[in-house]
Amino acid sequence: MIPALAVFGCAIVMAWVLPLPLGRLSRDGVSPRLGLAAWLTAITSVLALALAALGLLARTVVGGWPSFARTVCESVTTGVCPPAVYRSAAYELGLAAVAFLGGITLIVLGCRYGRSLRRASLSTREHAETARIVGRRAAGPDAAFVLDAAPPAVYCVPGRPPTIVLTTGALAVLDAEQLAAVLAHERAHLAGRHHLLLAVTRSLAAVAPAIPLFTRGTAEVARLAEMRADDAAARRAGRGPGHERERRTLLTALLAMGAGGAAAPVPASWLPATGGVVAARVRRLAEPPAPARLAAYGLTLAAGTLAIAAVAVLVPVLAVTGI
Amino acid sequence: MHGFGDLEAVIMHRVWEHGRPVTVRELFDELAAKRTIAYTTVMSTMDNLHRKRWLDRVKEGKAYRYTATASREEYSARLMREALAGGGDAEAVLSHFVAQIGSGESEALRSVLRKLRVRRPG
Repeated sequence: MIPALAVFGCAIVMAWVLPLPLGRLSRDGVSPRLGLAAWLTAITSVLALALAALGLLARTVVGGWPSFARTVCESVTTGVCPPAVYRSAAYELGLAAVAFLGGITLIVLGCRYGRSLRRASLSTREHAETARIVGRRAAGPDAAFVLDAAPPAVYCVPGRPPTIVLTTGALAVLDAEQLAAVLAHERAHLAGRHHLLLAVTRSLAAVAPAIPLFTRGTAEVARLAEMRADDAAARRAGRGPGHERERRTLLTALLAMGAGGAAAPVPASWLPATGGVVAARVRRLAEPPAPARLAAYGLTLAAGTLAIAAVAVLVPVLAVTGI
Repeated sequence: MHGFGDLEAVIMHRVWEHGRPVTVRELFDELAAKRTIAYTTVMSTMDNLHRKRWLDRVKEGKAYRYTATASREEYSARLMREALAGGGDAEAVLSHFVAQIGSGESEALRSVLRKLRVRRPG
């Protein structure tokens, strides 16, 4: 009982505490890749710890049966029923009930999670198929489709084949160079398979919205994926003087799209939970972090990620070995 | 090389352009004038589109007459609703270049854009 509680407690503490330091470290997107690794490691670790706690509980329940059965047998054969038997019975039944409820919860949440993932994949595929029929194919090597719609929007829809959708509203606010940068950004999402990260975390947050690590993690993963795609788009021309130019093009594209987006009024409830994602992206494109800051943040994030993973592995091991 | 998916799009665009019920024969004649295509290919593609509820059809004599179940604009609007509801209950996994942002942030971005334009004319 005690080891299971300790491991579960560790999962709870991590789920509530980790969003703070991780959020601070990945806020400016100094290293999106390490930031993504840190958040995903934290989420996986908490899930693993919760599973380990349930496993330990089940082990305790099963392990307690022989001695419980012996106590019951002895009391039956001797004809005496000392209070110890009641206490032992109450304890064993209580443990079994907790383990049972835990198992049921896990199964229910697992099913919901699977359903959420399946629904997301289905509506994504449908969206892509509809866009490919309704849209006009844009000139160029990309599988980009243009929709007649006033709000400036560019987005990619994963699937077979992956599809990039842009609106006539977006074409109106972007020049040719900016459009190329935006398309490179979307291609980076598709090449990096960011949709998998988004789908996996979003469904988790949908199933367990009360857990801060999952909800915050989902928003942060989406944010860091944007920054990573920005970096990929800005790096098209290599790291030389062309890089500076590409970065500026992408920045002005972001500004043009962001500023134009207000032309279509958006209800407050549609806004993403994390405010200021675009502003943060603009800031880091305008002033890329200095190498020293990059190294410091990178090292801290890497060390933090390793520490989280170590906790997820060591705590259950220590709990089992009984230290 | 055009795949079947492309042909579905081509046929839907034609049906929308007609704006009235059309037969497989009419569309086949139009398409065959521009590329080599088999009558049966057009027929089965339109049958598929009917099965996927893109097309409605009414039997007239021996042939079907097909109409679009919704206009192109309606489909576009539906896609936009789905795409712009990011963070809400839209389930499709889409990665926006710029997600929908608040008017406050948008105003801030606009002022940055104005400053940039002032600094770098042209």
